Amino acid sequence: MSEVPMMDAAGREAEATSKRDWVPVNLDLRDTWFPVAYSADIGERAVRRIVHAQDVYLWRDGGRLYAAEFRPDRLEAMRAGASAFTNGSGFYPAVERYGYIWAWYGNPDNVHEELIPNIPFLPPDGQGIPRYTQRAVRFDAASPLSVENLIDLTHADFLHANAIGDGQSENDVVEVHSTSETVTRIRNVTRKSVAPVMRWIGGVRAQYQDLRAVLHVHLRNNVCISYPNFTPGYPIPNVQPFVPVGKHRSRVDQTNYTVHAPAPFRWLMPRISYVIQPQDNSVLRPQNARYFESTERRDLSSRFDGPGNRYRLLMMRLAERQQRGDFGYGADADPSADISAVLGMRG
Amino acid sequence: MGRWWAVALSEAVHGDKALAVTCEGEQLAVFRDGKGAVFALEDRCPHRRVPLSPGPVKPGGLQCPYHGWTFDGATGLCNDIPNLRRDERVPARYAARAFPAAEANGFIHVWRGAGTPAAVLPGAWYRAAGREQTGSAVANIAFDQYLDVMLDGPECLLSFPGVHITDFFLGDPRRDGEHLVLDRGAVWKGKGNGPAFVRDHSLWVRTRVPVRGGDIRVELLSAEEDPLVTIFIAASENRRGTTSLVWRGFLHAMAAPLPWRWRTARAIGRAPFAIFPHIDGAAVAALEVAPSRDRRLAKTDTRMPAERVVPVQERCAV
Repeated sequence: MSEVPMMDAAGREAEATSKRDWVPVNLDLRDTWFPVAYSADIGERAVRRIVHAQDVYLWRDGGRLYAAEFRPDRLEAMRAGASAFTNGSGFYPAVERYGYIWAWYGNPDNVHEELIPNIPFLPPDGQGIPRYTQRAVRFDAASPLSVENLIDLTHADFLHANAIGDGQSENDVVEVHSTSETVTRIRNVTRKSVAPVMRWIGGVRAQYQDLRAVLHVHLRNNVCISYPNFTPGYPIPNVQPFVPVGKHRSRVDQTNYTVHAPAPFRWLMPRISYVIQPQDNSVLRPQNARYFESTERRDLSSRFDGPGNRYRLLMMRLAERQQRGDFGYGADADPSADISAVLGMRG
Repeated sequence: MGRWWAVALSEAVHGDKALAVTCEGEQLAVFRDGKGAVFALEDRCPHRRVPLSPGPVKPGGLQCPYHGWTFDGATGLCNDIPNLRRDERVPARYAARAFPAAEANGFIHVWRGAGTPAAVLPGAWYRAAGREQTGSAVANIAFDQYLDVMLDGPECLLSFPGVHITDFFLGDPRRDGEHLVLDRGAVWKGKGNGPAFVRDHSLWVRTRVPVRGGDIRVELLSAEEDPLVTIFIAASENRRGTTSLVWRGFLHAMAAPLPWRWRTARAIGRAPFAIFPHIDGAAVAALEVAPSRDRRLAKTDTRMPAERVVPVQERCAV
């Protein structure tokens, strides 16, 4: 084994094309939909959410949904201070789909519902999504760093081994595909140790299982759609939208759609995020702080960082494009396209 | 350009005694004349450099406890040297350093630095609208760090009994004139499964920290952002890496539905907040530098304060 970490092509290109270091904390991509809240969480009482340090107040009145820059009781008084994100109206475009409220972040003139990502395993109207599948967690890092953590596979063996397995397997192959707006990571693992949580409460008695895990990441809004399928076992489809709260924090209203898994796994598995999240935060918090430091020491990479480096590269390209004033979606981008085949869903 | 600093509680300065305070690392003697007007002199006699603050307040000003020289509070001029002959006069250039002083809303302010004192005092906004709690302390933390920690981890510096202040702050600090404003989530202790399991925080803690100066406002807000507790903390650099603190705070009329335990504790007179004079160094050291970066950047930024309305194009930054 070489002592020098090997860098993949994306890593080399990322290093070559960027004059700056990877600075995830400053990425502020716009003209995209953010799933800012579960639909079921919003009633007549205004709830405050944040996107890129900007207030989004959500409430319903007379059955109608509102997403505004200001609290409803202060809206009229403060409307003069409304930003260009609402064209000065104070109200963001907002749509309900897949059990979420999606708020538009960007130029309201460019809003299109077709830009909401397709989530094939969730009912579009959100009906029938059990509350036990929905868990909100908070990460102590900017969204891109949190997403990179999700893309990164090798950390799990060390940080989450007690919850999701020790990473031992016969074969472990990772593929990465991308467009200008998405990164897709496909992991095929044969004969891996069955995750403790699946063995204890998931009814999988075998010692080994195969895994095909697809993670589909939308770059602008950090919506991560995941379809891990275990054999023997079952798929545990999930959505993890990393809503950027600011440069230091992100919020994830997860949907772990375990409805087809056996009980009690289906009820308890979504709660595993309360175990995983503190483990991730223990590294993300100091890591995020260090990305504020100007340094000549670039991050090193191994071949295992291929998906993460691809993500970095594409995020930088997108950010640089937006910095040049180009906020459009490329010909290869269609967020609403059916990704059932991409995820490898059964049936 | 100079600025006003709130250095003492009004009630701490009374009678014929001066109060020794430290502001921007400089020791001052604050006192009142017979009419109640407040004055501030450098706590150093220009004669033999002893502190003036232990001396008595006389009709002519503050008298040095060592040789009895007396200094006018407004001008600092020495107007009496005991035992001078009748034909002797105090030289006109004999004076202690005097600082403009003013009082407002329970705080005594001192102007330090160049320029004409500004019309608005840091404590001008403070109006107690409920039962007050006041105090002063010297905290074992450097002044600039105190302000930074107030953004990065106010739970290291103060507490609201019955309330768990989380470290999940909302977005980045918002520039409001010479201050940075940041909200963070908080929850009632003993209700629910703890902050990690909360979908939406039931409380907010809003910290308003100056870029320059020492006037800090901390508020405990309901989920509807109605104030429950308001605190004004005046901080200033003390000596040897410590920070002078004086504060006033009050409990608002409790209109919102609040936990009965919290209401009961307040009803029997338990304080609604605590300011820590002894700060846990390990807790402070463990804080990551996060929103306070914006304060450090703002300190070096000489441009006009940021506008609330930012064009979309300018918000897209890499």
